[in-house]
This record gives sequence, C-alpha cells and structure tokens, in this order.
Amino acid sequence: MNLKELYQEIILEHGKNPRNLRKTEGFNKDAKGNNPLCGDNVHVYLKLNGQKIVEDASFEGSGCAISMASASIMTDLIKGKNEHEAKEIVEDFLGMIKENPELKSEYLSEDEKTKLMCLSGVKQYPMRVKCATLSWHTMVSAFDEKTEEVKTEN
Amino acid sequence: MNIDQIKKEFPIFDEKIQNNDLVYLDSANSSQKPKIVVDRINEFYTKQFSNVGRSVHYLAVAATNLYENTRTSVQKYINAKDKNEIVFTKGATEALNLVANTLGQSYLQEGDEVLITELEHHSNYVPWHFLRKSKNIKINFAEINEEGEITLEEIEKKITPKTKLISITHLSNVTGAILPVKEITQLAHSKGIIVVVDGCQGAPHLKLDMQELDCDFYAISCHKMYGPTGLGVLYGKKKWLEELPPYQGGGGMINEVKKDRISYGELPNKYEAGTMATAQVIAFDQSIKFLESIGIENIMKHEADLVEYGQELLQKNNSVKLIGNPKNKGGVLSFTIEGVHPHDIATILDEDGVAIRAGHHCCQILHDKLNIPASARASVGIYNTKEDLDHLNQSINNCKKIFNL
Ligand SMILES: Cc1ncc(COP(=O)(O)O)c(C=O)c1O
Repeated sequence: MNLKELYQEIILEHGKNPRNLRKTEGFNKDAKGNNPLCGDNVHVYLKLNGQKIVEDASFEGSGCAISMASASIMTDLIKGKNEHEAKEIVEDFLGMIKENPELKSEYLSEDEKTKLMCLSGVKQYPMRVKCATLSWHTMVSAFDEKTEEVKTEN
Repeated sequence: MNIDQIKKEFPIFDEKIQNNDLVYLDSANSSQKPKIVVDRINEFYTKQFSNVGRSVHYLAVAATNLYENTRTSVQKYINAKDKNEIVFTKGATEALNLVANTLGQSYLQEGDEVLITELEHHSNYVPWHFLRKSKNIKINFAEINEEGEITLEEIEKKITPKTKLISITHLSNVTGAILPVKEITQLAHSKGIIVVVDGCQGAPHLKLDMQELDCDFYAISCHKMYGPTGLGVLYGKKKWLEELPPYQGGGGMINEVKKDRISYGELPNKYEAGTMATAQVIAFDQSIKFLESIGIENIMKHEADLVEYGQELLQKNNSVKLIGNPKNKGGVLSFTIEGVHPHDIATILDEDGVAIRAGHHCCQILHDKLNIPASARASVGIYNTKEDLDHLNQSINNCKKIFNL
C-alpha cells in the first residue's frame, strides 16, 4: 500500500480546487448519485449540443479528495466527446480502477490518460473505489436519463 | 488497574495489522473481544452444543441452563427487578424495532407524538418512522445545544399534550453527550409518557441500574460490550412485556397452537421466537464476567481520563475541530479537519494502524444539523491507552502533512 500513490499532488490539487464545480446553465441532462455508506453525494450536469456532443459538463456535491478529483478530471475531459465516446471512456476508466493496468480507449489523448492514471492508486484501497467511481456512474445515468439516484456500493 | 494486563486479554492486540501494532479507536462501532469470550464460543460448540429449550436430553438441558444463566447475569448487571425483563434479540436494532412495532400494534394511536432527539442513531429513528407511515403518528425532535447536548429543559419544551413516548440515546455515538436519562424519565412519567432508551453506547461505558433509571425499555448491543455479534438485549418493564403483543411468531414463543386459535408463551419466551443466538448468549456471560472483574467504576474512570486527554490533544492541534463539547461526555471524539474529508483522514490513519470510523455514523440528522456531510470519529474502550491517543494525534499530523496543511 502506498499513500503517496493515492494522494498524488494532482489529486490533492483537483480535490482542493475542483474544476467545473458548478451547475451548467441550460443543461439538458443531469443525474444524482449518492454513496449511502459515507454520505457523499454528487449531481452531474451535461449540456449536449445539436450534434450530441458534450458542450459543457459540471457537477455539484461534496466528498473526499478522491471523489472530488475524480469528478473534476472527468468533467474536464468529457467535454467535446459524444455520448458513445463518453461511455467508452467510462468503461475504460472503470476497468482500469478495478483491474486493468492501463487505459486503452482511442478517445483519450495521452495527456488525458496520464491524468486519469493518477487515480489508479485507488485500486489498492477497495473501500475507496466507490469514491472514485461515483461521479462516473452518475454521468452514465445522466446520459441515459435515469431518474433514480445512483447508489454505489462498489 | 493495569491496562497493559487487560489489553493482553484481547488476542487481537497480538496481531500485526498491515505490519503495524493495532491502535483500535473504533469501539463505539464495535468492541474487540477478550479471549474468554472467544474461547467460550469455541468450547460451547466443541463440547456442549445443543439447541436450548426444546429437548429433554442431557446436552439440551445443560445448554438451556447456560443460556438462562446469562439472562440472570444480565439481570444482575443492569439491576433489573425480574429475570423475565431480559429479552435476547439479534442486536439493539432489533430490540428497538421490537419496542416500536409492539407499541405500534397495541398502544400508540393515530395522532400520538413520539419525541426523539437530533442525536439519535438511525436505529432509534427509522422504526418510529415506520409508525409514522403506518399509523400516522408524529415524530418530534429535541434539538441539540451548542455543545452537542440534549438538556432536560429542551425535552420539557418539546413535550406536548400528545406526547406518548420519548425515545432517547443514553450516550451519543457522535458527540459523546451523556443524556440525563433519569431526570428525563422522572419528568416523562409525571406526564404519563413512556421512556425508551437506546443504551448501545451507555451499556459498555456507564453504570447501569434499571431500577434507578426507571425507564420503561432499554436496548443493549452486546457486540459493543466486549461480547459476540448477532446479539442484543432488550430490557423492558415486566408490565409492558406482559401487556404488549408478541413481535415475531414461530417456535418457542407459543403456548398452544390449534387450527383455529393460538395462545402465546410466557415471558421471556414470548419474545424469543425461533432458534436464538445460543452460543453468543452463552459466551456473553463471559463478557459480563470480564466487565465485572474490572469494575464499572474503574472502567468509567479510565475512559474519562482518556477522553479528557484526547480532547486536550486534539483541541491543541490546529485545524482539528472537535464536534460537541458536552460537560458530561463519554469516550467518543468526533472531529473534522479543515480541508481534509473524513474518508481521507480514515484512510491515512489506517495506513499508520490507527483504526477510526469516518462517515455519518448512522446519524444523518445530526450531521445535517451540524451542516457537515461526514465526520471522523475516534472512540475508546477499556483497552485503550494515552499512547493510543498520541498515535492518533501523530497520525492526524501526518494527514495534515500529506494535504499540505
Ligand atoms: C447509538 C447506537 N444505537 C444503535 C446501534 C445499533 O446497534 P446494533 O448493532 O446492536 O444493532 C448502534 C451501533 O451501531 C449505536 O451506536
């Protein structure tokens, strides 16, 4: 186990100053997620344009450094992607957080992969995986226009 | 009292946990188990096992006697008037559900009010919420003051002519506040109001005397009392347990079963339907012996010293904010660190072998009131030392360092 790997500078920085921590004006998709075990909650907002491309993504909520950083990085890199690309990235990310050694999606730039890999330290902390994945599950739920709140228990 | 000696009675402290000595500060969640309790479970299963109360063979009779011995030990330990006022349950949660359910069936009426507090654990709120849904009773909340306490005055203020029942924690599992249960009971009884006490945190740490407290029901969680999991105790005044209907139906709780009628058994069988947690009940006798061998006065003194020490340490540590500052406080230190989420605190402390809990501790109402989503909680038991709290403090400093505070 390695705390330094979990709490990398970039995670701490995103955790402290999360990007896109706001509510997108004129959003057309949104969903709520919550982690009943720890009381963390997140509300993800998406604004898709006529071509179904994510024009803006944002989130509101509170949680630990891992969950805030994860939502922050996610909302940043999902901008400019369409639903299909976004969902593939989610799959790729969830696979990496659980077991895969690396990210494979062609829709991610090297720079984006490097950023996301900062969250890979979570793997060693099974109880914390849900912190990293809550906002991602919630985003999928927003795309799918699910009205039920997402609940992660891994 | 020699804490090192007492600690040696707990096998877990011989273990290395992720290469660290264990600093266990999560006893409010569940306590560790002394060897005599663990051994008793093993011994019962290997040498004495039988189901209780059903067969007439030697082992069944012996097991029944052992089972009933624990009931008597509990009765004495909490100074209940009658052995039949002790009912075994699967936990305090089930004990509280039993009370709410049976009072809901036969006593509480639509429009009646139940008064609880903002400090309550979900298991002393949700069962009453069920009655709010099914019987249209109303739930009122006594509010905490600045120190995280519930005062007698606040309770008095919230009582209305419709209040039929008050259900309160003995000791808050978040702020550590010890409630004036005896005084609240006196007040309540003077107005014909029933008092239910969630004694989960009270039972392991405070002197219990049911006849002095005079509450109508008291729920105990055995796994927080150096006892096995899957076991709780409901103390109920005999007149209530006799008057109220059964909670669950099945074997053991009946008197006579016919196709057209059923009559129920006498106390305490009436409330112990089905095969009970036999081994746990029998082993719990050893938990009581363990507590008695140290003496509750000594336990209270030791834990009060620890809390005072811990409180001082954490108060001096800037960026640590303690939750609540009750005058009368049990062994719970809940806190937040400005800029670090409680889950991050818990993960970092864990790396140093310091086991605490982070979250809302099943008290969402209280956390909403305090306007925080979660908190970190260190709680003590008889095996803790001041060094454990020093470790806690050092580990908190480590946490601050990682977060550049
Ligand atoms: C104050 C309080 N009430 C109720 C409970 C539930 O007890 P049990 O685990 O025995 O069901 C707990 C423990 O989690 C508690 O701390």
